[in-house]
Amino acid sequence: MGWFGRHKRRQPSALKRVDQTVTLADQSALRVQVCIDCLGAVCPRPQLLTLRAIDQMSEGEVLELLVDNPSSAEAIPAMGMALGMTHLATLKDAHGWRIYVRKGYPK
Amino acid sequence: MSNEVNAATVTAPLSTDAWYGHKGNLYALAIVGLVSLGSIWTLAQDMRWIYLLVYIWFGVGYGIFLQYGRFCMASAVRDLFAVGVPRMAVGMLIAVILFSLTAAVVKVLGVNTFHPNPMGWHIVIGAAIFGFGIVFTGGCASGSLYKTGEGNLGALLVVLSISFSQAIYVTLGGWLDKLVPASWTASAAAKGMPEELTVTEGWFDQFTAGYVWDLQGGQLAEQLGFEGLFSGAFVGNAFLGAILPSLLLMIYLYQSAYRKGYQRRYKIETPRFGDHLRGIWSMITASRNTAIAGLALGVLAGGHMWATGALREHYEIFNFGELLVDMGHTAGLSIQETVFDPGYWYITTQEAQWGAWLLDKSGVQVTDSIFFGLDNGIPNPLINAPGWMSIGIILGAAVIALSRREFKWKKPSFETAMFAIIGGALMGLGARIAMGCNIGAFFATVTNGDLSGWVFLAGMAAGGWLGVKAFNAWMEWRAGSDDLAI
Repeated sequence: MGWFGRHKRRQPSALKRVDQTVTLADQSALRVQVCIDCLGAVCPRPQLLTLRAIDQMSEGEVLELLVDNPSSAEAIPAMGMALGMTHLATLKDAHGWRIYVRKGYPK
Repeated sequence: MSNEVNAATVTAPLSTDAWYGHKGNLYALAIVGLVSLGSIWTLAQDMRWIYLLVYIWFGVGYGIFLQYGRFCMASAVRDLFAVGVPRMAVGMLIAVILFSLTAAVVKVLGVNTFHPNPMGWHIVIGAAIFGFGIVFTGGCASGSLYKTGEGNLGALLVVLSISFSQAIYVTLGGWLDKLVPASWTASAAAKGMPEELTVTEGWFDQFTAGYVWDLQGGQLAEQLGFEGLFSGAFVGNAFLGAILPSLLLMIYLYQSAYRKGYQRRYKIETPRFGDHLRGIWSMITASRNTAIAGLALGVLAGGHMWATGALREHYEIFNFGELLVDMGHTAGLSIQETVFDPGYWYITTQEAQWGAWLLDKSGVQVTDSIFFGLDNGIPNPLINAPGWMSIGIILGAAVIALSRREFKWKKPSFETAMFAIIGGALMGLGARIAMGCNIGAFFATVTNGDLSGWVFLAGMAAGGWLGVKAFNAWMEWRAGSDDLAI
């Protein structure tokens, strides 16, 4: 393994703790605690990172996921029931999608 | 019952522009216009090109709905193991159910083009290699095509890797021949093939002639002895061969991947039968687009079989090669004067032909193989009908991606590119060993009562499961240390 170890280059972390507020289409404000930047990544990376993030977040925290892979944008909201998260909104801009999910099922 | 958890539909920004004010729509229109003009021009040369145009236009249709539903059969297996989400597996099963019904209609009409595959261990092994590969490429064979249409250059690399790797495997000989069991060599030699094919050289020829040709395959209706055309097609092939297994798989998916979450979400303590039915419905409609795409693809796939079958009847041919000979195009045909012409949705073989055609042009001997020399030929890509279906998928996906503003040129990172090439080569190897990919060896197969397709799915699932383990290990290893403790 030494050979691999020497050549190993760590990637910058895709998961970030943040504290930001986003304004949704209906003008309501949303506090975001965790952000994942998956721009340029294809399946299954965005799904796996979301799974990992949700595992480590506390109930009620909000995750912002940036993706430009259409099949991930379709898959994440449909993951809610299995992962125990609520899809709040998906915003589309020139770069791709911003998907907001909250850990936990809707009240 | 509120549906907010299920709302998978993307809310697009409201645009006040007229539709023609958006560049994507104009590009999409240009693509449709070019394909239409090209079709008219081709028909003006010779009406018989209609046979090839059927492939292109059904390809465009497949591309449109694959992109619309973000329909990747690879993720059907992968997402289930990677994140425990059955969305795509359910979408795929919907498509299977619909296609089995339309295929039965086409069979009753008497123009079904399907040929059963031989059943054997090679299907499990090939499908497992294929399933392992798709986790790393991020798309199956048709998924890579529609993602290419979204501007994803990594997916294009996968398509190229599948093309060339297959062409190379099929023609490889030398030291690989030493791995071939002597019984295959003897059996292949006993088939009395023309000498120019050199069937006892090259591992793939010996595998094909010495192993696969000795295997049996068939459709359920005949195997069960359903004599009637109607009962055979609808009860034997469609219901028992495809619909019943699909429904059982859906119940299994609900039970293993969806039920727990659904009951927690709706706080159901003691579920009754009705709760389970509502739960299964919620699972099916978890992604509306995917479910709609499944329905549409099932109908299209049956329509494609019908259109090609009807044209074969009209021109009184069995294979497009005969039409090509009539039209004076004899280059690139196999020694039986045939070309690859499945008459239904298929992906990998025509891609292998592209690779082989280029290899042939650069001086590599490829026509001494059974795969190219005897069966499929290596027609010029311009007259390769199934090849145009693959290009149609790319164009159809581009049309809808452009008009939905999802088209984006994406260059792969070094890592993604390596995964595309290596994963694509694994997919090519798996597809050749299993004699097809998730479309030709699974989707088109189970829907016509050929149970070897379910064997392919089992193998692909096993390979996908191993692939997810390997991919996860890779991500752990590559991830920044703070990734794990956010």
